[in-house]
Amino acid sequence: MEKIRARSVLLTLCVLSGCAGFPGREPGITPVSGNDAVVSLVNAAQSNISDGKYDAAAATLERALRLEPRNPALWHQLAKLRMQQGQYQQAEGLAARSNGWSVNNKTLQAENWRLIGESRLKRGDYPGAQAAFDKAAEQAN
Amino acid sequence: MNKQIVNKIQHFVTPIRLRIFFLSLALLLAGFFLYLDIAVRAQFEGKRWALPARVYARPLELYPGMKLRPEQLLLELSMLGYRSAGSQLEPGSYRQSDASFTIMTRPFIFWDGAQGALELHAEFEADRLRNLQNLTNPGNTAIPVRLDPQYIGGIYPAHNEDRVLVRLTEVPPLLIQGLIAIEDRKFYSHHGIDPRGIARAVLSILRGGGVQGGSTVTQQLVKNFFLTPERTLRRKITEILMAQLLELHYSKEEILEAYLNEIYLGQDGNRAIHGFGLASLFYFNRPVSRLGLNEIALLTGLIKGPSYYDPRRHPARALSRRNLVLQEMTQQQVITQQQLISARSAPLDVVDHAPVGTSIYPAFVELVHRQLRSDYRETDLRSEGLLIFTTLDPLAQFTAERALTSRLGQLEKSRKIVPNALDGAVVVTHSQNGEVQALVGGRDTRYEGFNRALDAQRPIGSLLKPVIYLSALEQPYAYTLATLLDDSPLVWRERGAPDWEPRNYDKTFHGKVPLYSALANSYNVSAARLGLSLGVRKVMDNVQRLGIDRNLNAFASSLLGADGLSPFEVAQLYQPLASGGFRLPLRSIREVLTADGQPLQRFSLSVQQVIDPGPAFLTTAALQYVVREGTADGLSRYLPPDLQIAGKTGTTNDLRDSWFAGYTGDRLAVVWIGRDDNQPINMTGASGAMTVWGDMMAKLDPEPLQPPQPDNIELAWTDPANGLKADENCQNAKLLPFIRGSVPTETSPCVSQAPSEPIKSWFKRLFE
Repeated sequence: MEKIRARSVLLTLCVLSGCAGFPGREPGITPVSGNDAVVSLVNAAQSNISDGKYDAAAATLERALRLEPRNPALWHQLAKLRMQQGQYQQAEGLAARSNGWSVNNKTLQAENWRLIGESRLKRGDYPGAQAAFDKAAEQAN
Repeated sequence: MNKQIVNKIQHFVTPIRLRIFFLSLALLLAGFFLYLDIAVRAQFEGKRWALPARVYARPLELYPGMKLRPEQLLLELSMLGYRSAGSQLEPGSYRQSDASFTIMTRPFIFWDGAQGALELHAEFEADRLRNLQNLTNPGNTAIPVRLDPQYIGGIYPAHNEDRVLVRLTEVPPLLIQGLIAIEDRKFYSHHGIDPRGIARAVLSILRGGGVQGGSTVTQQLVKNFFLTPERTLRRKITEILMAQLLELHYSKEEILEAYLNEIYLGQDGNRAIHGFGLASLFYFNRPVSRLGLNEIALLTGLIKGPSYYDPRRHPARALSRRNLVLQEMTQQQVITQQQLISARSAPLDVVDHAPVGTSIYPAFVELVHRQLRSDYRETDLRSEGLLIFTTLDPLAQFTAERALTSRLGQLEKSRKIVPNALDGAVVVTHSQNGEVQALVGGRDTRYEGFNRALDAQRPIGSLLKPVIYLSALEQPYAYTLATLLDDSPLVWRERGAPDWEPRNYDKTFHGKVPLYSALANSYNVSAARLGLSLGVRKVMDNVQRLGIDRNLNAFASSLLGADGLSPFEVAQLYQPLASGGFRLPLRSIREVLTADGQPLQRFSLSVQQVIDPGPAFLTTAALQYVVREGTADGLSRYLPPDLQIAGKTGTTNDLRDSWFAGYTGDRLAVVWIGRDDNQPINMTGASGAMTVWGDMMAKLDPEPLQPPQPDNIELAWTDPANGLKADENCQNAKLLPFIRGSVPTETSPCVSQAPSEPIKSWFKRLFE
């Protein structure tokens, strides 16, 4: 149990700070969910990702989302995974979905906009990407 | 004379000739054996390898803190065929004491791996699962555990649709033991034939009684393969030879499994009921794995004469035959005396009407089949034994079926409509991920025919209006929820078409009405005028953008829903509104596995933003007004107002169709009621479909609808009389959401200097 908690804190740090990181910003420490079942599913998804099992990770994250469909961190995780898998359009949709549920979480919103910007870059939509990065900067300030 | 003949014969039958004779006889026999061998093997292999795709419902996830009532868990367990057990738990059984359960799950191979049998301890508090312990694996309490999913049907080979294949492993051991006790006690030791049985048969022939009895299970299987009822000695000899050949090639288990799937057990019109899989559905409407002892005994007894012992036509004969079988099972120590006593006192338990199809949820399975067809070849679906994991929530399905059937009966009674004249359809989806949780294709929920949920394209009437209003609200500087719309008489003239004069349901015109109220009260004239000024084409294009992937008419009357959509399409149309602006293809399938449990394909969650969050939020707010004070205010008889449900009633010309589409925080549901012959039913959306929706949703414990308020939304007081800015002291003032910058700037005369006690609107409470 202790181990799971520790992993989930690490994971949450990772989610909220965006892993790749926005330098110079203090990440908030909020657990990915108050529900242990969701936390353990997210941990399972994370180890799937480390093992390169992206499909299994997606299935596990979707399972977590069925338990907590309004959890923006879960939508964000799935968006990041789709980005890794090269499913850029899906990544954008999922990040936008995460934004819908993270009205009071500027940090996560900035992360989502950055993801949307990257997804648009990959698809060659440069003005769209710029607009998204601007939004990210706006949220981060 | 006689001596001469004998001499001739002696002369003719030389040793060489004799040898040739025996050799040809042997060759002939060998050829005959070869022929029989090929024939019997072809039959057997053919039967064995055409495996239908098997379709499963969603597995119920269990985790501490989840919303679940004990009776819901009980219903799930009973649908799964879990048994209430005494002290000793085995997989597929449970023990209950008040609000706590101990469950032993069945092992199951899921998409992401196998889950063994787990012993779980669950404790409930009110409507929550307060505590869940995994006794099998105490260190692993956090991961949610899954019950095995309910088997809901198969996709069968076309010429074989009257059979439900079962595997030996899913057949209750009692059935097999009973079968062997009654039909073939020496099954495991003989080589296909029972010499004593044959001797008895020969005796019967000699006595002139014809060929009868004395068949082993293997012989019966052969007889069923070739399906000729003739009882000649030649037939009997062929049967004996083939039975021995079968035993030579296949194991006892394989033969038994084939027998269980092949044996003739009843007749339904011209449909022959073969195999225990179909027979248990046909007689008891349950899968074979869920049969009880009394049912097992009845089916076993039927083998002797399905028509003579037909439990529907000759219940008394069937009952005594069943009890005889039970007696025999006791004598052979297959069951105990106690089991005998309790099973013998049980009723026949046969369902009055045989389910027509092969699935308990044929409408949903049909949807699954259609969605699979875009990725798989029909022949593969019907023969490769694919495992299909779907999104069906049996608890939601059960509730939806009950709500529709019972409400239709009540409506007919209270409105003096001929019984069974009304029909209907229900679609329930998860509002946030687009999974289809329930699909009811008609009142006869087991009927595999016309699927109204998918195929009844009926005019949707006012259900189209939210799209008109959404199209307007996407232009925030032209339209807000407070904008006054014109609800005075309208005549629309178009070249080549008769004049169009839309009227309101209450046959009056309402002058200037605020936009939100025009939608809430479902005024036709103001909606039509708004749609015409936006452009019919534009509105209909938005219908496509939201999810209807086909060409739609763009006549003026299309604005008021003159064109037909199926209930399923309506659900797709409303899905983006329910999910805050995201188009989610309605999915019925999660995963597909090969017959041996290897992952083949996943149908993943897919989202696409099709409406900006602002206008989506405003449209939902207007639809919440429909339920709060508009045409659907009667919903408060079923569901408390704090659920803030959004919905829309739909009524069509001459009251032929009654619709309701609505969503909560977690579910979207669409209900249609009408007649197949399209005669008027004299019901509005509110008096018909909405009552089904309310009944159903009340039992589904919906989450309140609390869409997150987008950043660009602000709340402002407005005066509904003039659409101008007001304050909380104004009489009738409404606190409405606006896209930032679109709040009316001009102040209503109602704004006075004297401040008084602020009246909080329901909308403000919503955001506090």
